[in-house]
Amino acid sequence: MSNRIVETRTVRTFGVQRGGRLRLVALGLLGLLLLVAAALPYLGASGFLVSLTTTILIAATLATSVNFLAGQVGMVSLGHAGIAAAAAYGAGWASKQGMDPAMQALIALGMTLLVSLIFGLLSMRTSGIYFLMVTLAVGMLIYGLAFRLSSITGGENGISGISRPAWMDSYWVFYYVVLAAFVLATAGLWIVSNSPFGASLQGVRDSESRMRSLGYGVRGYRVGAFMMSGTVAGLAGLLGVWHTHFVSPSTAGVDRSIHLIVMVILGGIGTLLGPLIGAAIVVLVENVLSSHVDRWPTVLGLIFILVILFARAGIAGSIRRLVRRMRDRADTDLPAQAGIHQDIPVSATTPDAPGNGKDLP
Amino acid sequence: MNSMTNTARGRRHAVACLSLVAAAAMALTACAPPGAEPAADEPAAGGDTGTLTVGYISPTTGNFAVAGQEMVDGWNLYWDLNGSKADDIEIKTIVEDDAGNPETSLTKARKLVEQDKVDIIVGPLIANTALAVAEYTASVGIPNLHPVAASDDLTQRNANDLTVRTGSMGGSQANYPGGEWAATEGGYDTAVTLCADYAFGWESCAGFVQGFTQNGGEVLEQIWFPNSTTDFSTYVSQIQAVDADVVYVATAGGAPGPNFLNAYLDLGLDLDKVLTNCCAADQGTLRAMGDRILGLKSISYWAEGRDSEAVAEFIEAYKEFSGGKIPGAYVAGGYMTASLVASVLKEKGLVTGSDLVEAIADYTFEDSIFGRVSWDDYNQMIGPVYVREVEKLDDGNLYNVPIATMEDVDQWLGRDPEAAMQQPTYSQDFQGLE
Repeated sequence: MSNRIVETRTVRTFGVQRGGRLRLVALGLLGLLLLVAAALPYLGASGFLVSLTTTILIAATLATSVNFLAGQVGMVSLGHAGIAAAAAYGAGWASKQGMDPAMQALIALGMTLLVSLIFGLLSMRTSGIYFLMVTLAVGMLIYGLAFRLSSITGGENGISGISRPAWMDSYWVFYYVVLAAFVLATAGLWIVSNSPFGASLQGVRDSESRMRSLGYGVRGYRVGAFMMSGTVAGLAGLLGVWHTHFVSPSTAGVDRSIHLIVMVILGGIGTLLGPLIGAAIVVLVENVLSSHVDRWPTVLGLIFILVILFARAGIAGSIRRLVRRMRDRADTDLPAQAGIHQDIPVSATTPDAPGNGKDLP
Repeated sequence: MNSMTNTARGRRHAVACLSLVAAAAMALTACAPPGAEPAADEPAAGGDTGTLTVGYISPTTGNFAVAGQEMVDGWNLYWDLNGSKADDIEIKTIVEDDAGNPETSLTKARKLVEQDKVDIIVGPLIANTALAVAEYTASVGIPNLHPVAASDDLTQRNANDLTVRTGSMGGSQANYPGGEWAATEGGYDTAVTLCADYAFGWESCAGFVQGFTQNGGEVLEQIWFPNSTTDFSTYVSQIQAVDADVVYVATAGGAPGPNFLNAYLDLGLDLDKVLTNCCAADQGTLRAMGDRILGLKSISYWAEGRDSEAVAEFIEAYKEFSGGKIPGAYVAGGYMTASLVASVLKEKGLVTGSDLVEAIADYTFEDSIFGRVSWDDYNQMIGPVYVREVEKLDDGNLYNVPIATMEDVDQWLGRDPEAAMQQPTYSQDFQGLE
């Protein structure tokens, strides 16, 4: 039948689909999650727990920026740790020159925009594996500069003693700042994803040639998307350096970028909360499980393999698919058919999901 | 159409939700959460319980796992030998793995301080992790002891009252006397250097080059290799072309040492013209190269072939522990730190916080495995540096045996501390020469 076309990317955010009740439940859950997050310091959580959650939220913000590019435009970047590091080094350098935190933030923003633009311009003609390689190369370039320009970056030793603004000095105020930044970044990218601009990006993802023949400046869209994603990555980089008061070349390392992609895939590419779930898993394994299990990298690898094998849409993606399938089963009186199509994600061409192309001319 | 209105409604929902949460968050932030204030001064006060809780951070997984594990082994070995006690004070160690990643190091340090309420933190190993942790521990009043980390800045530009290097020397400090020795007793007039192209290599080379030139030697050329180099034949031919009296080689340990030596010896060049830093001639290199490198000279603060009771006891114990291996500098650093902590606690009773660091800084360790060591005002070790030669001792193992000893080497390379710290950090372009 017509809805047997397989669309494995299943990239869709809340709100594109029909159905108000499900969305209301989802929004309610989101609100509840936020409420718990907001109340965390008051629920008797120790300073360490709050600080660990801060780490998760910063990682999640960074992962969100990767997720936006991967999910919305189909560009999987291996260079986002480099962008975050550029912002962090901007702030670090400014702090070493004795500038106040406002100037730090400004210079970090400048670095972010500059580096994102370079990334965007270099990679706008590429896609797929070539995009991956270009971003990997530029990311390594940033790592190399951080490592070698020791008069500016402090070389391998990095820059330490970077202070954040005095008003967010206590750990719990900083936690709220990071929480707010994460929520704003996620909401901002969600709004962009669901705007006509976002729809055009999805068009670029699904068929570049079609978009070009329709008269879209595909490269401009690519650079634009990269700039947005890069700005969020830079924000995460700045928050990260304010959290640790320290930056060194390992912030820009390729393993960091790979971790980000692992987070996104674990959580589910293109999902709203996937990056948060993925970041939580990776950070908790790295920082908490490692205290009890010697072979924690193996555990992380196993989790990754299991997700790839049994929940290819990631954790958030699989949950959503499960909910949707259960609802479809309840809606239609054809359980047998639902059974047949068990492994087929919602197709872009099914009549009830006009989704992606809705705003095209 | 339908989906359009849905989206619009969704947006309104989202905006309403967000503003609600924002309002709630603002209301909440108006007052500090319970326990936010007093938490800061609690950990430092674990004074008279009779137990010293130690948080030990080391990379026991990842790229640096071998060195990290050795650093832990050295520490544990001492306490296994002596029972986890210094007189009546019990030593409790919690080991945490940081995988060589500064962010993880910091989180682990926070966990150790806030959750486990440790009295001191020992480690970590890699320079950037060490600097990051030292700054954090200083901000919360916990002493930080460094058994291995070699970054000069740890006890120079980043020095503080709570950070002390207990088991190693800075890169430039350990190699400066080697330069002096080469230009004088060694009898070399000209040198070419081959150093790893990153902070540790820059510092090691800077130490050697300054010691060498200040004593009348001439450095003809400095060559740098990336840490990932496996084939050293091009570097060896460059060295051959320079034709200096001695080639000084500094690696950060691991494969580059044996790789260089193989390339060098395969070209039939003279081993007498090679002088290396600690790590290019560590036990890993000795085991890998075997009798081929008998007579290789190197410079280090650790000499496993030194004739001393403390060293003999340590080596016996480690051989038993590891199945016949001879301990390298990482094991020695961990062991040294443990024996130092034990000695200081025995003398002063249970001291914590900056008192412990002060007690260490005031202490002179007469018969440590490194020889007689003391500490300077910046909490860096002052002690002997050995010029060592590879020899086969009676047990059939290769040892680095000292052939010359420079006592009481400090970290300032003959400079005034203030002036030394005014200089730029060492790099390819700046090696401390005028």
